[in-house]
Amino acid sequence: MNGFLAALKAELYVALRSNSARLLVVLPAFIVIARASVVKLTETGQQAREALLGGGDDVTATSNAWGHFVDSFTTGLTLMSLSLVAYAAWSFANDRDTGALRHVLIRRVSRPGLVLAKLLTVYLLALAALVLLSLGIVAITALLWDFGPVVEDGYELIGSDEIRSEVWLGLRLALIPLPTALAFGVLVSVLAQSATQAVTAALGVTLALDVFKGVLGDAARYLYASFQPSLIDQSYLQDVGRLVRGYSDVMIDPQVLSLNAWVPLPQLALFVVIALLVVRRKAL
Amino acid sequence: MAARQANTEAPLSVTGLNKRYGATPVLMDLNLAVEPAAVHGLVGLNGSGKTTTLECILGMRPFDSGEIRVLGLRPNELYRSQGSVVSIFDSPSLHPQLTVRQTLEHASLLCTRAVRSPSQVEELLGIGKYSRYRIRELSLGNRRRTSIAQALLGQPGFVILDEPFNGLDAGGVDDVLALISRLNREEGTAFLLSSHQLPYLEQVCSHLSILHKGRIAVSDRVDKLFNAQSTRLLVHCDDVVRACAIVQDIPGVQIEDTSEAGLLTLKLAGANPGLINQRLVHKGIMVSELVPERASLTSLFHQITSPASNDKGAERGVA
Repeated sequence: MNGFLAALKAELYVALRSNSARLLVVLPAFIVIARASVVKLTETGQQAREALLGGGDDVTATSNAWGHFVDSFTTGLTLMSLSLVAYAAWSFANDRDTGALRHVLIRRVSRPGLVLAKLLTVYLLALAALVLLSLGIVAITALLWDFGPVVEDGYELIGSDEIRSEVWLGLRLALIPLPTALAFGVLVSVLAQSATQAVTAALGVTLALDVFKGVLGDAARYLYASFQPSLIDQSYLQDVGRLVRGYSDVMIDPQVLSLNAWVPLPQLALFVVIALLVVRRKAL
Repeated sequence: MAARQANTEAPLSVTGLNKRYGATPVLMDLNLAVEPAAVHGLVGLNGSGKTTTLECILGMRPFDSGEIRVLGLRPNELYRSQGSVVSIFDSPSLHPQLTVRQTLEHASLLCTRAVRSPSQVEELLGIGKYSRYRIRELSLGNRRRTSIAQALLGQPGFVILDEPFNGLDAGGVDDVLALISRLNREEGTAFLLSSHQLPYLEQVCSHLSILHKGRIAVSDRVDKLFNAQSTRLLVHCDDVVRACAIVQDIPGVQIEDTSEAGLLTLKLAGANPGLINQRLVHKGIMVSELVPERASLTSLFHQITSPASNDKGAERGVA
């Protein structure tokens, strides 16, 4: 791809010096840490009150770190995906608004090369945000709670190994649709007439998908957004949150698991191909 | 810096360019050529289609029909020139969050043949003291200087500038004019300048095209355009009546006004003022002063675009 590497370097140069990109990387981790701290404070207050009143000795569900660990990831990934979709939508459209992408296109980079460089930059920012989010969650949950098996009345309901395996599966399945969601942001960015329109449209459609996946029934399984942690969450990670708290009714349909693994990929390819076709003829 | 070998490839050739916005034609069978090492001015009224023409040339806007070649490349292949073509747009087109230095470092990442460092171009454009300022903190003039500085990191063969003098103070305009002349002279860089500032173009351009109603109304070397224009010559002498009798036989001379005592006003169409002076003095007329009033680009522009010579001027406000 002509000039792709030069464009990628240039995009990363700008992103590393941009406050919005820094905020994007730091914000999910910061919010999740703040949320966990508030939850711990609330829990401690609740336990103190119950101790004073002489009741409520069942602290198994709240003192185990796994539940908070999964909740933190659900919250963090929801925030991260929404903010990254907004950033992806803003990136190309904003550079067109300011005219900054004209210099890049005239000097060295083909239009498809620039779109792919923008997409990869957003992916790298997502990766950085994910690493920071993971480190933050591990640190704060380990600091405030104890990791261990789910035990009730002295009986181990779920062992640590099984929890780890389910959490890992839940995270993997939750992350698979993320590249597709970001590619959708870039597609909207290429299609839109302005940065404001792009961000509004990308967030609007993402939230609308959230609403629609609830009413589409089984058809929603063919929508990448169904498997993302979101405000109306239907992802497996949300089920894992219940599983690690000892709920025994959590089941995953192997067919859903399979759809979760492959449905987002053709949609990712479709969004990228449309963006590359549109950008070739677009007035910039 | 060593002068680059003369590039014989035409920097720009536009043939039969047509562009419509909806049902409204903006560019109609537009033809434009920029010769190697030329400084070519493109002028026109607001809405005449200058910016649209430049956007089509630079591959930023699709056009309906016609052929454009920039250093032999189609507009959508300009990136293949690897920095031989650069452009500075009407709006400075920079990342507002970057500092001046970062902007230039960013541009150098896209420059395959960087011949100057960011600090060198900062000094060249007089923006060294703003090196640490963010673009959004700069005045329009300094943003434009930064934009021009970006273009000078490499060694472009063809530079396209859209309204390069907008927002610049008098010193800034002089700097940019001197820079254009220097790059053109020393490195053989060809320029296409779109501007409303005709007096500035007059100082620096070797060629000029006037875009009017979507077509190139006039395009030629500036000296030829001047020669084609009649020049007025004010002759202060002691005997206007005799002087009239002498000069009326000289080819290319037309007597315009004799009403003022001691002043003969002539209209010259290619006649040499020196020859007129020689004839008058030879016939014993005492010539105290000869004042040529040269035609300007402004007068030529007004002549072409004035409502008198057109139906009704610019009809719509196309960028």
